[in-house]
Amino acid sequence: MIRARWWGPFFAIGLALAVTSVALALGGYDVPQALGALWRGAFGSEQAIASFTLKRSVPLLLTGLAVALAFRAGIWNIGAEGQLYAGAVAGFTVGFVGGGLPAAVVIPAMLAASLVAGAAWAAFPTVMKLRGGTNEVITTLLLNFVAIHLTAWLIDGPLQEPQGVYNETAPLPESATLGTLWPGTDLHVGFALAVALAVVLWVVFRFTRVGFLIRAVGEGPEAARIAGRVDSGRLSAGVFLASGALAGLAGAVHVAGVDLALYPGLSQGWGYTAIAVALLARLNPLAVIATAIFFGAIQAGGTSMQRVAGVPLAWVNVIEAITVIGVLIAARGRSRSGGDAGAPEAA
Amino acid sequence: MTDREVRAAVRIRGLRRTFGSVVALDDARLEVRAGEVHALVGENGAGKTTLLSVLAGHLRPDAGEVEVDGASVFGAGRARGWSTRDAWNRGVGMVHQHFALVPRLTGEENLSLGVRRARSGWALPTDWVRERVHRIRAETGLEVDLSRQVEALSIGERQRLEIVKVLLRDPRILVLDEPTAVLAPSEVEGLLTLLRRLAGEGRAVLLVAHKLDEVLRVADRITVLRNGRTVLEADRAAVTARSVAEAMVGDAEALDAPQRTTVEPGEVRARWLGRTDGVDLELRAGEIVGIAGVEGNGQRELARALAGRETAAGPGGSGGAPGRIHLPDRVAYVPQDRGREGLIGSFDLAENVALGHHADPDVRGGPGGAFLRWNALVARTREMIHTFGIRTSGSRATAASLSGGNQQRLVVARELHGSPELVVAENPTRGLDVAGARFVHDQLHRLRRAKHAPAIVLVSTDLDEVLALSDRVFTIVRGRLTEVPEAERTREGVGARMLEAGEGRAARAGEGTS
Repeated sequence: MIRARWWGPFFAIGLALAVTSVALALGGYDVPQALGALWRGAFGSEQAIASFTLKRSVPLLLTGLAVALAFRAGIWNIGAEGQLYAGAVAGFTVGFVGGGLPAAVVIPAMLAASLVAGAAWAAFPTVMKLRGGTNEVITTLLLNFVAIHLTAWLIDGPLQEPQGVYNETAPLPESATLGTLWPGTDLHVGFALAVALAVVLWVVFRFTRVGFLIRAVGEGPEAARIAGRVDSGRLSAGVFLASGALAGLAGAVHVAGVDLALYPGLSQGWGYTAIAVALLARLNPLAVIATAIFFGAIQAGGTSMQRVAGVPLAWVNVIEAITVIGVLIAARGRSRSGGDAGAPEAA
Repeated sequence: MTDREVRAAVRIRGLRRTFGSVVALDDARLEVRAGEVHALVGENGAGKTTLLSVLAGHLRPDAGEVEVDGASVFGAGRARGWSTRDAWNRGVGMVHQHFALVPRLTGEENLSLGVRRARSGWALPTDWVRERVHRIRAETGLEVDLSRQVEALSIGERQRLEIVKVLLRDPRILVLDEPTAVLAPSEVEGLLTLLRRLAGEGRAVLLVAHKLDEVLRVADRITVLRNGRTVLEADRAAVTARSVAEAMVGDAEALDAPQRTTVEPGEVRARWLGRTDGVDLELRAGEIVGIAGVEGNGQRELARALAGRETAAGPGGSGGAPGRIHLPDRVAYVPQDRGREGLIGSFDLAENVALGHHADPDVRGGPGGAFLRWNALVARTREMIHTFGIRTSGSRATAASLSGGNQQRLVVARELHGSPELVVAENPTRGLDVAGARFVHDQLHRLRRAKHAPAIVLVSTDLDEVLALSDRVFTIVRGRLTEVPEAERTREGVGARMLEAGEGRAARAGEGTS
């Protein structure tokens, strides 16, 4: 289990900012100006907070929950990106076709379709893992590329806008779009939905039987099977599909809340950033809310850092990457001391 | 003390080591001389493994002095850089209780790891290893399977491989942590003979064990640890089994073994037939059925099948269909590998108590019983800690923080909760000290005499345990179960059936069926 100690996230964020500052200084940038721009771009105004930071955090939050759920059960679902695309296509299609219906009907139908599509995209890796023991890291990762290219082909073909000129679909009808959560900003109700799901998942892990069994399978698969009499195959399958469903939901929420049409390359690698989001949160669903907002803020602030201080946007990726490294360092410290603490147990 | 002719290979004084608030070692002393077999004994949690970890360079003590081969490696003014590598280089070879083998590699590959031979270049020095293993086998009779992957080997086979691995390095100070627990009787003899021979060559042999009769047969000197302190250091000739046991427990009364009572088996409440590769077994309530066998003869599969856990036969196992097994509803299972199969180390005690009991009506709550009532589980855990005398800081402590004996108490407490109709215990006292083993035996015994007694199956490689507790005794050889007649129920009689008798029987069975 890659679970850092409690101070791990703070250490990771501190490390990322420190290393980035030094690197920016060496690169000749004005560091205070750059970090100031980063901060203002993320939290400097109502618009920055809602229309940029929080809005960007929504797909990260949903995919982050998907990853946290799977990792907790010891399932290495690296395919949130592909599952997100599957959900986006399914959600868009349902919304487009059913656009004449009232929002109270079409929105739930879209979200349901995206859940099913995300789960379906995870179904093949699930079967491969549980039947043949194929490593899910490989299958989920490869299916990401299939999903991305399949989506691009659909947008270039059957789903292309009527004129057949632009590489995008026609826009969603009004009734198939998500309402605004924070009036005067771009923040849509998908954010509230994502936060609610995080709370639900936290309650599931902490208080329910199935959540307990998922943790047991992740922490001690043998003991869960033998002492706990858990049907770990069935449980793992359920978790894997649910993880795919959550990632699929992220796709539909983004399309219905932000893009309002389907574009190729609609995700900026959120399904991968989700792994960092989940690990930084130590796989705790409530903490995923905070880490998703953190990464949303870095991405929002990165844009303003580029505009104001001329720092290339790619530095955002560097900050994210160093954060993950920081988490892994903290997790390494934990497993080492775990070995220490194990010494007296056999004495 | 420091006569030139009896050079101390290891000398430890005033050793102290704490883990948080737990004092594992406090003023521990140990002196092992070249050319002797030295036994280190003590209860679970007495600090034996911690002491060994210090010696092997895994752990740094908080205080004290450690000398290896005449050179100070830890103590006043000494460098703190005593590492596992230093331990190797100084000739300390350690056979651990927990195996350090790569499951996916074969025995031969595992043995080749870390061996450096100039001539083999980048290739594994397998020729050299094979030759050495042949020599060790010729000298000691220790059999290891070099060609199969370690994950396909039984625990006993893995441990033999561990011992051979250390012997390959020709250590001057050989340390063995509970090496005999999983070996067959004939192999134990072989090992003890080997230890004597190695000591005769001038090596120091430090043996950590819990079976006093073995210790007393082989050791020249004995050190007893209790609660992290050295309470006895003596020559073998100066002690008796009783005096050593008293020193370990610190309480003579706790020692008297449970009396065997002749209670008639109660009314038959659980009754079924199980067939696993030629197994016909009928169990009765209030009766302990003992199954003895050398590790790797199918008892694991049988135990799991009887316990209603998955019956997947491992490589080399029976592979056959589990057949008809009619199990009662409430089956308790004490698995042999408690750390891996019985408990989750990172979970707290209450969470571990919930394992397998998550469907109990009194711990389910909320809509549809989807929630766990943690208050009820914590209360249940506290009660278990109290009744079963589990030494811990509380129900929120992790299972990994418990000593081996206390982990087993927790597993037994959990499994016996809710009056099971069948109890399957697999090597339930392996690695436990006198008090721990006695506790488990007492529990089984009490259970058998209880008003609504379950049927009890005791699967064990420990012949003494099987003979002492069982109403009926079976041996299992290559997946075949045969009952031992009353007249042959002696250590020798059953031991012979476990080994030689099985060969002919298995061969005959093969002719008959295939």
